Amino acid sequence: MNKHRWSALSLATLIVAAAGCGGGGTSATPGKADLAAPKEKSGTLTMVTKFANPEYAPYFEKVVAEYKKANPKVDIKLEQVGDQAYKDKIRVLSASRDLPDIYFSWAGDFANKFVRAGLAADLTSVIGPSTQWGSTFAPAALKAFEYGGKNYGMPLDLDGKYLAYNKAVFDKAGVTVPASFEDLLTACDKLKATGVQPIAFGNQYGWAAIHYITQLNAYDVPAKTLTSDYTPATGAFTDPGYVTALKQFSDLVGRCGTKDANGLSHETAQAQFLSGKAGMHYLESVEFEAVDKAKPPLDWSFFRLPAPSGAAGDPSALTGAPDGFLVNAQSKNAGLAVDFLKFMTSQQNAAALTKDLGWLSPVKGSASTANANKQLTDALADMDKAGNFAIWLDTITHAEVASAYLSGVEGMLSGSKSPEQVMTGVREAAAKAKKEVG
Amino acid sequence: MGALLTRWRAWVWVLPAVALLLVFVYYPIVDNLRLSFFSWNAFSPEPRFVGVDNYTEMFTDPVFWRALLNNVAYAVVSLVFQAGLSLVLAALLEELVGKRLRGLLRTLYFIPAAMSITVAGVLFSFLYNPRYGLVNEALQAVGLGHLARAWLGEESSAIWSVIAMSQWQSIGYTAVLFVVAMQRIPREYYEAAKVDGSGAVRTFFSITLPMVREMTTLIVILTISGAFLVFNEVMVMTAGGPDNSSQVLGTWLYRKAFFEDDMGYAASVATVIFVITFAIAAGQLALSRRRRYDS
Amino acid sequence: MIALDSGVDRRTTAKHRPRATMSFRSVVGRVLGWTLLGAFAVAVLYPVLWMVLSGFKDNQEVFNQPWGLPGELRWENYARAWDLGVTRYFTNSVIVTSASIVATTLISAWAAYGLCRLKLPFGNGVALLVLGGLLLSPTVALIPLFRLLTAIGLFDTYWALIVLYTAFRIPFTIFLIRAYMIELPRSVDEAATIDGATRAQIFWRVILPMSRPILVSAALLQALFAWNEFAFALVFVSDESLKTLPVGLVSMQSRLLTDWPVVLAGLTIAALPTILLFLIGQRQFLRGLTEGVGK
Repeated sequence: MNKHRWSALSLATLIVAAAGCGGGGTSATPGKADLAAPKEKSGTLTMVTKFANPEYAPYFEKVVAEYKKANPKVDIKLEQVGDQAYKDKIRVLSASRDLPDIYFSWAGDFANKFVRAGLAADLTSVIGPSTQWGSTFAPAALKAFEYGGKNYGMPLDLDGKYLAYNKAVFDKAGVTVPASFEDLLTACDKLKATGVQPIAFGNQYGWAAIHYITQLNAYDVPAKTLTSDYTPATGAFTDPGYVTALKQFSDLVGRCGTKDANGLSHETAQAQFLSGKAGMHYLESVEFEAVDKAKPPLDWSFFRLPAPSGAAGDPSALTGAPDGFLVNAQSKNAGLAVDFLKFMTSQQNAAALTKDLGWLSPVKGSASTANANKQLTDALADMDKAGNFAIWLDTITHAEVASAYLSGVEGMLSGSKSPEQVMTGVREAAAKAKKEVG
Repeated sequence: MGALLTRWRAWVWVLPAVALLLVFVYYPIVDNLRLSFFSWNAFSPEPRFVGVDNYTEMFTDPVFWRALLNNVAYAVVSLVFQAGLSLVLAALLEELVGKRLRGLLRTLYFIPAAMSITVAGVLFSFLYNPRYGLVNEALQAVGLGHLARAWLGEESSAIWSVIAMSQWQSIGYTAVLFVVAMQRIPREYYEAAKVDGSGAVRTFFSITLPMVREMTTLIVILTISGAFLVFNEVMVMTAGGPDNSSQVLGTWLYRKAFFEDDMGYAASVATVIFVITFAIAAGQLALSRRRRYDS
Repeated sequence: MIALDSGVDRRTTAKHRPRATMSFRSVVGRVLGWTLLGAFAVAVLYPVLWMVLSGFKDNQEVFNQPWGLPGELRWENYARAWDLGVTRYFTNSVIVTSASIVATTLISAWAAYGLCRLKLPFGNGVALLVLGGLLLSPTVALIPLFRLLTAIGLFDTYWALIVLYTAFRIPFTIFLIRAYMIELPRSVDEAATIDGATRAQIFWRVILPMSRPILVSAALLQALFAWNEFAFALVFVSDESLKTLPVGLVSMQSRLLTDWPVVLAGLTIAALPTILLFLIGQRQFLRGLTEGVGK
């Protein structure tokens, strides 16, 4: 009996391994899913998100409930898990080829992994920039889910990284919004002289530093080189701009930050900014709401991390990215899934996203003074000006490269690694990633 | 035939245990060895045979050696505190403290061990906080403010801070085990020593120490193998950072498997853990066997 | 059997020691010894006390008066921690822990009886298999188990944890219980056989009740293990609603990083059950521990 159980189990493992593996990880079998809207809207859709947090979950539940109400023959099984849990969950679901019809994805290599494995449906025919649905989105947002010239994802929200600043603290130090990276460093010196922390910075898990590096890489490395390096198959990371970016970041932390950043969480640093003890804080537009809720209220505004003068890269790039949803390439209900996603990004629901969650939607015209505060509408206007999103370095690159960057920059901050050494580690990881994707 | 069947029917007793062990303990461990010769991740689930590539990569990876070294550091420090200091504590408890108070202290010392490592880890990450943590506050209060630092955020101190927490949690536990062993020592021995006029320290070395040798050996082995399996506290407090400086084999395996999507490499780290812990445990078994024959 | 505080305590004789032996050196030694014991008690207790007290503070008090007492007992922190997920984690831990206690003790007792009272074909093989299970560490099996549980659909269910907690603790528990059962007189079985009872009836009606003390020890140790286990719970359950306390606390800490009092209140709630269990069942706990590592 044991023996049977045994072989049954290994058989099951084999089946899982064999299923859906059309030979090698790279040869993406483009999704053959039928995307046309079904004649009659009926059936069951499955959907997994990473928005289990009690602040976020109700919005998605509401949209699902409204769609079901409008289409009584459709049932949607919505499962929401937490941020970290989602990474594990989706990994398991794809390993067992058990993906839901609609699933969440970050932009960048996280989404591209699904594309390469043939697990994401090609949505170009419905959401491409020239289609009717596609034309409702900000182009930069759509582009974030582009792979090999095709569109694979529906952007859900817009997120940009900005330096928020406390106006009172700035006034007291006689500092104005810096126009260049060099000005920023000078401003830091002045702020320090008045006894405040210039930039509140906590890097406990490593990603906070990576967001700065994302922006600086975009400024210092020519866009074309950047794209090629961030793609696992061609990653080389030999451009001198990478080392420049790390050096600039090092300067920034030295003059604006604190030595204990690695031991401090981003949230602790943020609390410092909220209580008026720091001049600036680098945060995402989805975090604006937290700043607005500061007690006592804060008089604040924001600006982009300014570009170093004469930088070789794209000075109009903005760190940030949309999050989005992908459609399972094997889905039997792909048409219905697309229909639901269209519903989710209607003007009305997109406006509700901003009103309920304080998030910006990539749907054009969804934010106004009616549902968003000044900072959010300003951020939206600024994102429209952004030529390109510099997608988070830790999600756009291959996991090996991301990991090398995360730990390397930690090492640089604690003084054990030089920028050159960090890049050596990154190059090794890139070589490994290259080998892995074949 | 009937007799044979009756004899095999006795297997009913062990079958559930054996089945569980085979499927969930033995099969995975054997499978791990096999998997360590393949390369794959969750998104391309077809394992590709790569021979000993994973091992070559691992043995040339400085982080692997760092992790192994951290495990060794864990073992050495734990030995000093959990086999050394706790023995002294136990002896003091036996020598100085009256029965009532001793029971109370023993209970008290054990409390950290009854808390989960996770709770202790999260608690200590608060204590180690560079801005508001008690550790830095305490240093400042006694005029040692220059020693204050981001305990878990600096490469030079991260792993040691985790190890320190672990000692806090376990000394009481091993001290209690020593107390139990000491209570088994016949008290005539001590009376004889007293008649001879031996002092407390000499009695400790001439009687207590030899008599708890067996327990000492066991604690030494438990401590060492525990040090190579450490996972929770590192995961909770530093997750191996900064810059992998506090990585141990267990967390390195986890990061490789579930963060960097490099399952094959992770499986080969697991094999190393297996070899080390198996050797230690087999050593323990051999020792206790020999002891049994001796007595 | 170990004599834990039972019988005459040899240390009670310490009182009758002649005063003359209290030389200056021994006075210094005593002072040093007491200092060490006292310092250790403070070191152990203070962080725990700080955790409980800070759970009643507000953020201002935690950050600005880390050594002070809470201005008032803010039970609402505990209520908030409870509402913010601790209820759910707590329930999950109770479910997984109790199910694995029942499964582990029953399956182990069942097998232990078979192993020490019956002649099994390949009985030695089974004993070796169980013994070997003691040498294998869970970390090593992480990756294959991940594949296995995914393939058979147990991933992300209570069952994943219950089955694994049972499988990996069976070897230890069998040995614990077997050591006790071996010492039960065979005449009991024989008497029951004469009365016409079957093996199974003897087990349920005679042996199991007689083994109560060791079963309690086994159950307590399993409770301590399952309540605190982290690695499996981290890897094999990803659904927030199925998380057990140790993993849940970490995810709660990452969500509430700036709200220390609530997290500390959550930690206290998580630590309480096992500490209470230890205080109540101290004797059985220690018996299990020393039997488990000792024999």
